[in-house]
Amino acid sequence: MSKYLILNAFGKALEKSGINKKSVSIVSDVFYPPEAIKPLGIDFFHINRGRSIAFATGLKLGNPQIKVVAFSGDLATLGGNHIIHASRKNMDIIAICINNFIYPGFSQKHSRKKPKFGFSVYSNFERPFNMPHLAKSCGATFVARWTAKHTKHLSDSITKALQTNGFSAIEVLSPGCNYFAGITDNEEKDNLLQYCYEHSQVNNNEDTKNLEINGNGKIIVGEFVEKERPTFLDMYNERLTKVLGDKFEPYGGKSVRD
Amino acid sequence: MKANPKDVRTGVFYIDGDVAAAEGAIAAGCKFLGGYPITPSTEAAEAFARRAPQVGAMFIQMEDELGSISTVMGASAAGKKAMTITSGPGYSLMMETIGLGAMLELPFVIINVQRGGPSTGIPTRAGQSDMMQARWGSHGDYEVIALAPDSPQESFDFAIKAFNLAEKYRVPVMLMADECVGHMTEKVVIPKASEISIVERKWYKGEKDKYLPFGTDKKLVPEMVKAGDGFGLYITALAHSQNGYPVKDILKSTAKRLVDKVRLNAPDIIETREEGLDDAEVVVISYGISSRVAYRAIEQARESGIKVGNIRLITVWPFPDERIAEIAKKVKGFIIPEINYGQIAFEVEKCVHGNSNVVLVPHGGSSVHNPIDILGAIKQVAKEKKRYDGIFEYKTQLEMKVFGNGGKK
Amino acid sequence: MKQLTHPMEAFLRMDRIPHIWCPGCGIGLTVTAFVEAIKKTDLDLNKLVIVSGIGCTGRVAGYLKLDSFHTTHGRAIPFATGIKLANPELKVVVISGDGDLISIGGNHFIHAARRNINMLVICVNNFIYAMTGGQVAPTTPLTAYTTTSPFGNFDPPANIPQIAESAGAVYVARWTALHIRRLTASIHEALYKPGFSVIEVISPCAQYFSRINRLGDGLDMMKFYHENSEIRHGEPTENLSIDYQKRIIVGKFIDRERPTYIESYKEWRDK
Repeated sequence: MSKYLILNAFGKALEKSGINKKSVSIVSDVFYPPEAIKPLGIDFFHINRGRSIAFATGLKLGNPQIKVVAFSGDLATLGGNHIIHASRKNMDIIAICINNFIYPGFSQKHSRKKPKFGFSVYSNFERPFNMPHLAKSCGATFVARWTAKHTKHLSDSITKALQTNGFSAIEVLSPGCNYFAGITDNEEKDNLLQYCYEHSQVNNNEDTKNLEINGNGKIIVGEFVEKERPTFLDMYNERLTKVLGDKFEPYGGKSVRD
Repeated sequence: MKANPKDVRTGVFYIDGDVAAAEGAIAAGCKFLGGYPITPSTEAAEAFARRAPQVGAMFIQMEDELGSISTVMGASAAGKKAMTITSGPGYSLMMETIGLGAMLELPFVIINVQRGGPSTGIPTRAGQSDMMQARWGSHGDYEVIALAPDSPQESFDFAIKAFNLAEKYRVPVMLMADECVGHMTEKVVIPKASEISIVERKWYKGEKDKYLPFGTDKKLVPEMVKAGDGFGLYITALAHSQNGYPVKDILKSTAKRLVDKVRLNAPDIIETREEGLDDAEVVVISYGISSRVAYRAIEQARESGIKVGNIRLITVWPFPDERIAEIAKKVKGFIIPEINYGQIAFEVEKCVHGNSNVVLVPHGGSSVHNPIDILGAIKQVAKEKKRYDGIFEYKTQLEMKVFGNGGKK
Repeated sequence: MKQLTHPMEAFLRMDRIPHIWCPGCGIGLTVTAFVEAIKKTDLDLNKLVIVSGIGCTGRVAGYLKLDSFHTTHGRAIPFATGIKLANPELKVVVISGDGDLISIGGNHFIHAARRNINMLVICVNNFIYAMTGGQVAPTTPLTAYTTTSPFGNFDPPANIPQIAESAGAVYVARWTALHIRRLTASIHEALYKPGFSVIEVISPCAQYFSRINRLGDGLDMMKFYHENSEIRHGEPTENLSIDYQKRIIVGKFIDRERPTYIESYKEWRDK
């Protein structure tokens, strides 16, 4: 199933980045069963829909040594507000937005992001979000988009995100994602992912304005933004040290990077 | 254990209830506040923001209440004592995540400085109409603890108590202040750190492989670890069993324990201040600011010869139903003044099992009761010879004037 | 003797005047600009609906003599969406503040822009949460003092025109409360534009923002806008963020066409 593809890519990225697994936490509103998570050896929190970024913010501020990764399927709908403000503040977390174009389990209804693919039962008339453009305009420091089948590229992007400080937004297209483990795959869902993969084109550093998914042309994937900027805690510590001088002890210290 | 001297601002101060609550939280060791401005609770967040750098705490003003309560959950999962401060409309927004906290058994404190009316209501005036919401606000079965302070000094003391209870039982604890207490400026004595007892979370000290995130002994409260300690935690908000893995059979999950935690420990948690109950004919039950107004009425009633007892609820939830049921057999009636149209009165009526009369002295909000009304209700209950079923709603002077009832009760 | 009437009396609920806004506040100017703009249009005033949220700007709904709704915090835009979809003949205008629209209402803001719901949003930006006593807002510039940033703000501020543009708004403009005639003209133009239009109005907050930061009173802020604002139509929205007491770029930045929500829906339904 597609979502395991993403988790596998994440696992590989974790190995490659060399980060101490003790200090990585995943906060997710997508459900992953224990069998998929235990082998990774990290802390995992499955919480209520849409609030992964806010929970991740709290986790990060509660223990600044942890590198927090927020998985979300519901990011742009329920969590839209959190994305724009977390990227503005440059919270040091990674947001992995799993875009499956539909709300899970309801194949007839549409969610915010379903493009006008010809073979879908109801074509959505709402314009889908251009996630990378939104994340970039709000100030994210690392923005990328891949499909779930681009395992190597995805895992490289996640490695980069794990090693940089700041708010990283990685959109992963995986249409037809199964939410409930009990439902079996059917060919159409695999075909959807294959379609996306085949119609995608890797264009790193493309201007995010051109990244709309409208079912007509190619889906552009790649890494689009990579710029460093002081994180929330950096700005906080800098400001308070300036005002309070030696009396202030910087919050958090250095993050664990090995 | 005792409070950290660096956190406690020992001294005698003249501050308002909001600021006192923030100081109490800091003295209890709270190191995280995720907030959002809402009248009348903003003074507490502002006070915390000023003090945070001095005590190594973190204050973040999130973009909305949903964000703030979620960050509180995250900070609690990372091992810090965390809280948020809000009022009615924000409290309603937080409900889903309060359920998350109850399910994941994350300790946290919410200070709800109640204000008037449903929806936007009257932001700058007092109310006590969130009491039922504190208990039943989120969906599903869970239990909370709710405290009601009646002065800035109690706001300070109960903030510490709230954190102690939250850490001990791993439940959401609501400090149900109101705008009157929050904005009232009074003398607050902050004792030395060595005189303040605080409770730390029960941290798990055993082997990593044997750790069960929701495994418990007879005390019903599991030991905690925090994210980042290398345990490879698997925590889900789905119904889960002792090892944290999701289950579909409710009997295998922790659901029953979430309510048992508080219900079976209720005798240790419940706290009331009782006075004059030995020979009482009628009893006043009150909480929060209404109890201060009730003192005046009780004083006057005693002077006129009525034997009136007084029960002030410190913990409103869990409700002291056994105690009330016991007293109900001996007295003629209960008078419950509250700044709402009947919330805790329903709980009282449930407990008396028809053994005495229950009279509610309601008040719509935007000010506190007039003692005359509470006195009138006490006199009426004392005179009453019949036993009525249900709750009798006392018609206050204000209502009679406004609705022209001619004084008939 | 002839009874004197104020030129705006027909549009204000005179029984609620005087209003609650502080001397030196820019919200009154925004209301005047709005009333002047609708006077010049030929819109049926019975079909004009005002929706506002919570905050100082949120009180606008209480003073305009039109169908007005004072709703909950941050939910003015969904409320307005509901009104528009229930009766597409109504013209809906949302007038609210920066905290209400961008902070708690941020999600609704970007989704309404994405869907291109036909409404005009007038966002009065005073860089602070004024009604609740002067707390920091997402638009507060770096280093500014507020009650919840007692050591100076360290969060980079939100750039409202950039958010609106990247989410898909079709008309984006910004003026200060000083540019009263240009603001009126902008509102007039946006009222006729189909789609999601955003007009940001930079306003002084004499009671909190300027007082806490020792910037003077409302008049001093107006002098500041006079000397430091620069009109640049069509400027790319990335360059529009506002630094503390630095240059403010104003003008009309985006004016484009996109099918509105209802048009897209009809097109899909008829297919």
